[in-house]
Amino acid sequence: MKFKKIFNDQRVVLTLLTIALFIFFGLRNYAFFNVDFVIYPLLRDGATLTVIGLAQLCVLSIGHLNLAVGRMAAVSALVAGASYQYWGLTLVQGAILGVLAGALLGAITGWIIVKSQVNAFIVTLAMDFALLGLVTFIYVTFTGATAAFTTKPAGMDYWRSKSLADFCLGPICGPKALPMMLIPAIFCLILVSFMFSKTRIGRELLSTGSNLRAAKLSGIPVENRVMTAHIFSGTLAGIGGLMLAYTNGSFTAAIGSQVMLPSFLGPVLGGTLLAGGAVAVLGTFIGTMMTLVIRQGLSVQGIGLETLNIALGLVLLLALSVGQIQKMFTSTKLREKK
Amino acid sequence: MKKSLIASLAAVALLLTGCSSSSDSADSGGEFGAIKVGLVPGGAHPYFQPWKDGGAAAVAEFGIGGTEFNETGEWDQTKHNAAIDALAAQGYNAFGVFGVSPTDINTTFAGLKAKGFAVGSLASCPGGYDIVKEPQKNSADFCLSTDTGKAAYLAATAVIKEMGGKGNLVHLTGNAVDANTIRRMEGVKQAIAETGGKVKLLTTITDIDSDLQSATKAVTDLLAAKGKQINGIVTTAYNPAVAATDGVSSTKLPIKVIAIDDDQKILDAIKSGVISGTVVQNPWGQGYVGSWVLSALGSKKCTMNTPGLYVDSGSFLVTKDNVDTYNDTRQATSKEILAAFQNEYMTCKS
Repeated sequence: MKFKKIFNDQRVVLTLLTIALFIFFGLRNYAFFNVDFVIYPLLRDGATLTVIGLAQLCVLSIGHLNLAVGRMAAVSALVAGASYQYWGLTLVQGAILGVLAGALLGAITGWIIVKSQVNAFIVTLAMDFALLGLVTFIYVTFTGATAAFTTKPAGMDYWRSKSLADFCLGPICGPKALPMMLIPAIFCLILVSFMFSKTRIGRELLSTGSNLRAAKLSGIPVENRVMTAHIFSGTLAGIGGLMLAYTNGSFTAAIGSQVMLPSFLGPVLGGTLLAGGAVAVLGTFIGTMMTLVIRQGLSVQGIGLETLNIALGLVLLLALSVGQIQKMFTSTKLREKK
Repeated sequence: MKKSLIASLAAVALLLTGCSSSSDSADSGGEFGAIKVGLVPGGAHPYFQPWKDGGAAAVAEFGIGGTEFNETGEWDQTKHNAAIDALAAQGYNAFGVFGVSPTDINTTFAGLKAKGFAVGSLASCPGGYDIVKEPQKNSADFCLSTDTGKAAYLAATAVIKEMGGKGNLVHLTGNAVDANTIRRMEGVKQAIAETGGKVKLLTTITDIDSDLQSATKAVTDLLAAKGKQINGIVTTAYNPAVAATDGVSSTKLPIKVIAIDDDQKILDAIKSGVISGTVVQNPWGQGYVGSWVLSALGSKKCTMNTPGLYVDSGSFLVTKDNVDTYNDTRQATSKEILAAFQNEYMTCKS
């Protein structure tokens, strides 16, 4: 009975599925177990996409979408990059400025939604276009042919290339497969998880997403909570943007341009509801990792571009259907018992 | 429930920490047969397709262990890095790479070099500095690419000549924040400046090289709005070139066009006189020469005299006069570039 309960948890099923896929790809081609070229980069990219997924999760919790999540990441990277290049700030100082820029953008987005009462889809779509123009304009104006801020503050490469193997307690060092980039991701996972499970703000966000009218009648300041969700989203998008810039090596307009769809994929695969009211924080990490394992697994098999995308789509569809298939089996069994 | 979840995650962690590297670094032998070259463009684009044939020709001619063309980068630096990693995991030990982001790719090159691989920057050089003056800043062993500014200048000069040295010119090109595009824009502006004001740049349309549909729409809108004012169009990106050829052909406007690259549509349009010509680049030569140089470096047979050296892979004006013979010229130029690497740019063991 307890065993059945465990398997009704989507996160457990998703974790087992990810492990199964990982082993399957590894057995098909042993190169997939390579630490340097597969596991380490997978976890590093997974860490970044998880943080961006959490940015999306924050607004999904109230039933909103943030289509500008990638551009918010780009603006944060731009601000941090400019601060390193022109003002000579340290890695941490620039990072703080960048994250604050993300938070400010989130606040502006939330404020527009609250004041205009226009759907978040429209507002964030408009914000995405506006920020695309702004980011491109600033890079071209200030950096000319380079179109990027290329100054690397001390410590930037450390975050890109080092692993927990560089952390030692006496003779025992951490595993080489775990990148340093996992640390900010774990920090964000813990904070977001704590907020939704242990704080009043978290519960109010979920109530707002679950039933706006009921939340209002219960005395929840829903307009404030809309602002809160978008501020968190902007902040996390900012952290994700910095992680992308540190990983890739410079601050460009292209940062975040490809993360909008993955930002939904992780949370939704993990069990977060698009309609709001329920979030899966750890599920976001597991869902993100599963998509990356599938993609890189197929890539290591040497599958071409078209086949790769078809196979990726089919496997994801199957993974998304697992929950539904489980429910079907459960309801059939219940009917049989009756 | 939580305990079971933690147990599952612990299992993953155990699996990860228990894994060991199967090929931590490149350990190339002394022969070309031990070298497997990964040719990795930033994503799918017709421009890069001749890399496959160029690489295959090098394998057949020089006995290289093999080449693999991987275009799964999808124009995203993160996915591009993942594509390179996938090849490295499969045992590829030399890489010819087109960087999605010119300012990011040096970081990728440095990572590959640190693992002992031979790395060449093909079709685009790392950005953020002047590669000709400061080759030491290139983390790859060399850069073999079109001099985009020079190619754009060549195209603009040719179209201005066709326009009779006066009139309004339009420039159609790719991503506005790409360093190569900015060099192309400068090349076109230089050719216009040399006319002493007789030719005016009516407009430069950027960001229309992502796909043919958006390029076609931009050209259709342009010709509908300003078709009669335009005397010449110079295109410095593939999709706008095809779209401009189609647009001028269907509207029959008396606009002189110099395109870029050698799509069959463009070649047919040159033969039928719809457009004046095209500037072709040399992706075949990049694949062919690049594969040999990477094998020579990977096998430790040769070393670069100037690490990070930039070499122009060539650009050629094709008109009705040489449309049937330009490919021979291009292949001959590729052999000359290869000879220059062997005799001038590298020092090789006998």
